[in-house]
Amino acid sequence: MTKIKEYNVPFSKEVSSRYGGETIVLCYQCGTCASSCPVAKTTEKFNPREIFRLVLLGERQEVFQSNAIWLCSSCYNCQERCPQMVEVADVFFALRNIAAEEGHLPNMYLEFASALINDGRIVPVSKFIERKREQIGLPPLKSTGTDALRKILAATGFNNLQLKKEAES
Amino acid sequence: MENLKIGVFLSDCGKALIEILDFDNLTSFLKEIPEVTVVERGTEFWKGSGLQTIIRTIKEQKANRLIVAESLPKLSEIKIVEAAEASGLNQNFVQVIDLKNHCAWPHRNVPLEATEKAKAMLLAAIDRAKILEPIHKLEFPAVKSVLVIGGGISGMQAAEDLADLGFEVHLVEKAPFLGGIAARAGRFFPTDDCAACIQSPASDVKTITHTSRKCIYRSGIAAIQGLKIHTNCQVVGVDGQAGNYKIILEKKPRYINETKCISCNLCAEVCPVEVPDEYNVNLMNRKAIYTITPNIYPPTYVIDEKACKFNECKKCVQVCPTNAIELNQKPETTTLNVGAIIVATGFKEYDPSVIKEYHYGEYPDVITNLELARLLDPFGPTQGKIVRPSDRKFARRIVFVQCVGSRDKRWNDYCSSICCMISLKHAIMIKTSFPEVDVSICYIDIRTTGREHEEYYEKARELGVKFIKGRPTEISHDPESNLLIVDVEDSILRRLLELEADLVVLATAMVPSEDTETLAEIMQIETDEDGFFKEYNAKLRPTETKKRGIFLCGGSTFPKDAPSSSLQAHSAALKAVKFLNTGKIVKDQKTAVVNEEYCGDCEFCPVSCPYDAIELVNVDEKHVVAKVSDLLCEGCGICVGTCPLNAIDLRHFKQSELLSQTRAILSIKGQDKPLILAFCCSECGGASVDSAGMTMSDYPTNVRTVKVPCTGYLRIEHVLAAIRYGAQGVMVVGCMSEGCHHEDGVKKVETRINVARALLKEYGIEPERVELFNTIFVEGDKFAEAARTMIERLEKLGPIRFSKEV
Amino acid sequence: MTSYALFLGCTIPARLPNYEISARKALSKLDISLVDLEGTTCCAPPPVQSLDLETSLAIAAYNICLSEEANLDIITLCSGCFESLTVANETLKQNEKLKAKVNQILVKAGKEFKGSIEVKHYLQVLSEDVGKEKIKSSITRKLCDLKVASFSGCHLLRPSKVLKFDDPERPHVYDELIEALGAKSIWYRNKQKCCGGLLRGYADDVALAIAREKIINASKAGADCIVTICPFCYLTLDLGQVLMKSTYQEEHNLPILHYSELLSLTIGVDPKELALEFHKIKIDSVLNKIE
Repeated sequence: MTKIKEYNVPFSKEVSSRYGGETIVLCYQCGTCASSCPVAKTTEKFNPREIFRLVLLGERQEVFQSNAIWLCSSCYNCQERCPQMVEVADVFFALRNIAAEEGHLPNMYLEFASALINDGRIVPVSKFIERKREQIGLPPLKSTGTDALRKILAATGFNNLQLKKEAES
Repeated sequence: MENLKIGVFLSDCGKALIEILDFDNLTSFLKEIPEVTVVERGTEFWKGSGLQTIIRTIKEQKANRLIVAESLPKLSEIKIVEAAEASGLNQNFVQVIDLKNHCAWPHRNVPLEATEKAKAMLLAAIDRAKILEPIHKLEFPAVKSVLVIGGGISGMQAAEDLADLGFEVHLVEKAPFLGGIAARAGRFFPTDDCAACIQSPASDVKTITHTSRKCIYRSGIAAIQGLKIHTNCQVVGVDGQAGNYKIILEKKPRYINETKCISCNLCAEVCPVEVPDEYNVNLMNRKAIYTITPNIYPPTYVIDEKACKFNECKKCVQVCPTNAIELNQKPETTTLNVGAIIVATGFKEYDPSVIKEYHYGEYPDVITNLELARLLDPFGPTQGKIVRPSDRKFARRIVFVQCVGSRDKRWNDYCSSICCMISLKHAIMIKTSFPEVDVSICYIDIRTTGREHEEYYEKARELGVKFIKGRPTEISHDPESNLLIVDVEDSILRRLLELEADLVVLATAMVPSEDTETLAEIMQIETDEDGFFKEYNAKLRPTETKKRGIFLCGGSTFPKDAPSSSLQAHSAALKAVKFLNTGKIVKDQKTAVVNEEYCGDCEFCPVSCPYDAIELVNVDEKHVVAKVSDLLCEGCGICVGTCPLNAIDLRHFKQSELLSQTRAILSIKGQDKPLILAFCCSECGGASVDSAGMTMSDYPTNVRTVKVPCTGYLRIEHVLAAIRYGAQGVMVVGCMSEGCHHEDGVKKVETRINVARALLKEYGIEPERVELFNTIFVEGDKFAEAARTMIERLEKLGPIRFSKEV
Repeated sequence: MTSYALFLGCTIPARLPNYEISARKALSKLDISLVDLEGTTCCAPPPVQSLDLETSLAIAAYNICLSEEANLDIITLCSGCFESLTVANETLKQNEKLKAKVNQILVKAGKEFKGSIEVKHYLQVLSEDVGKEKIKSSITRKLCDLKVASFSGCHLLRPSKVLKFDDPERPHVYDELIEALGAKSIWYRNKQKCCGGLLRGYADDVALAIAREKIINASKAGADCIVTICPFCYLTLDLGQVLMKSTYQEEHNLPILHYSELLSLTIGVDPKELALEFHKIKIDSVLNKIE
């Protein structure tokens, strides 16, 4: 049995004060999101309503300890249907952003982050494809704005976020 | 002019004040003032021998202005004014001030200072008394006739109440038959009786008995004297004002002479035209000439103009045994003269087809609760059998979906309040008649808040209705099995379900009736953010509109069940009776008056008046002046505060009275602290000053109060005058921003205070010397604290110094 | 001839040359000219939004700035790019505060978001600029009774409040474009549901299970192929079927085509020019239904 000594209510405040997380406080737990969710239908590991419940009750640690927040497929089906107009998918981004700041990033996302910093794009173009492109008559790819992007990432603090992760690993 | 003879009466409130206020000192102070001819002391002046003293003073000592210092200001004021009027003194010549709560109690620890403040308060009243003018009573005619719009539960109820009490009543129903939405519901909760019974609930015409709850056809509603029923009829024009409205009705042709028709049904039998029957939510067809159910009023037929072929066919005309069919009927316009209007236009089901994920209107087996009610009605299209409309097969599995389009920010934010009960009622009816049918209700919260409502929830559980806590995301249709699939999470089990169903019933939101917006426009009354007619005050005046003489009841203000609709109908009827009973409207001329010499060519006051009491009238071709309706004016004075030309004033509270009181009350200082003038309104703001006294919350004696009808009365000059007369700071104490008794007077004064502060800043005076406080009665301590804080602030700022520095 | 700045994004040039070539050829045949811009980057789709939403806005805004400078509206072939660029474009156009914040960042890269251009998915260009009638009249090769399970995926339609492309609950634009080619767009269960593509790499089992349901539903309804308009949907469903062989020991062999491929094939682009060998699931059965 879980003994709840003190609900950490400010967690929902923390989430709702972030860009993307504003609407979570409207959630009244009707479960429309859960029944709209292709992922919840496939795996018991993910239920958006349940994660929102945890956030609203202030169970911060539990939210970040499980990796469930990374299972949203960002399909926005729930967001269309939510009767309280909770921006469900965006709230998940806000939750992931908090996790990222605190270093709870799955490997795949770490790779995205370094690819973004290094190449300016998250899917690298292989030599094989470059040759293929030429063979089938596609124009050569224009340059990627990597330098400009790095300046942007530096300005938003994204670089710091990334460096912290690398130092930890 | 007669000589002023002011009588002052000092009550020590049962000797409660003698330890605090020095009554000898006050008496000798008063006796120094030449106009004060009588000073009386006593323990109470609003009843008993005290009141006799007042009467004697008027009659024998010919006092013509009274100032009575008493507690319980309003209660005592009523008694004293009554007695004074009976003794021949004009009501406006009596002032009652509250030395107890405004002076003695809050300042009980500083008796010397309190006595000085009491002097200032008395002086203010005396100076005001010198310039008071009489206020007369006005009478307006009131026609003892009422228009009731809407022939559903509440409209019929209100109409019958009024007719029973001898009023002439016109009950107007837009549909061809009485009954409204309720009649289609078949059965009612929480009584489980017929909707048709509730339709005629009130009285047997001659004797009101306990058996007067009857089916409509047995009720004798049409025989009630003074009640005129207009069906197939709409209100198209409303003119005039409270007590005397001119109504224009437009009656659509029924094409049947009601008096001749004997309801033999021969016409419908021969009619060759069939169209979907909208009364039975298109689940069956009806003829172009039709009636709805056998027990309806009026007991006659109607021709559907859009469907009938008229002279091309005429089969009905040939067959009618009483020659009741009149195909050449034309629309008729009637004019009525009524004193009051009761709006009982009800609500309707929201069209859930906009919620596309539920596929209403696309899948025939997705229906609404009202449609289900028709299925369950023995008079309905299936004689009470529940079938799925797509193939008329018996529905074995039924799923209800709650909160469809309500509690949904995408469509209607609010809870429609009756849908849980409707679904429970239907689930019980189904389970009782067909125990083998599987019934599930998908809900977010089950709301059974009314008397005996929870029992329905209990009974439904007993009967085996399944409750699934979850709002379905989607209803889909499997073409192979012709079953519907309801996609829902059982959030208690945290399990995703796909419920198969023959029939899905949507508990849709209830929204305002179609013509609400148009009628609001015609009657010039307000609607709320959800489109319902706006109640004047949800707590205390729920069946009133802001417009005098127009009342509301039933579902026109919000979705309601039958008991609440009936209750509201009685309430609205009673309000109409109160309003018209004497055949006249009597009120004091405590109204605004325009100085036509100054007034001209602006439109500020009509716009700012919360009561639409001011209109612009032409003085010549090019120029207009404001004209105040003494009937509609409530005397708040917001127009006074608004007028850019200072061309309007209140008869019962002239600006000169405000200024002389302000000057007088600041003329006796009594203490070495900065003086504050607190302008407070006569409602919540003033009451909070009263309650500061009642709760004995301390604040310094140098806070002096002057009451205005509404803070919206105040002009920037008034604030500046207070400073000119010696105030170091000005507080404006009004109602809460959303709770102003005169709509938005306190919001208007807020803007003006901001301007005043900006002006003061121009002259080097700290703007924080002027502040608005919003309070309610129970917040006396808040007022006292605000007053203390203000004094401290002013002490820090030091005395006002005019300078060019900002 | 209408010109657009072609925003290719990351996945298409790196993984789907067949998509790119078919789109370029079809659009050119329909008089839409494409301009490739220098210096674009990743559009900041959901995986990047997961890292930081505000950074993502800035990245998307940067790419929009490039088109603003070229004074061209953007056309995307990828629904992910369409969603991230449109959300940024519309949000920043409406929210002055955010716009100022993002511009403070962009100034470091020498850019300023002005809000002067539109972002369009190529389907939108086809329906709005080209029009069904022109497509119909360009058809040179007839489809013989081709039953298509159309799949528009998520980010063409949702979040609809911002994207405003089509009715998210009753989309019809895409199906009409498919029927304009002479194919029959069929109903299948859960047609609008996500393909699970964004979970690939993080929860492959879940992604594959979702994709599998999609394939099964379309097959059951008698589809000859699924036609997609998003590189992720395509990869999830095409490559996914290869994985289904090993994971579920199932062979579905349901051809997955890009809409641009079907379009190219019907308006007379030589199949040999379309790099159709990139399909993991062979599409011969579809080609056989083209006259």
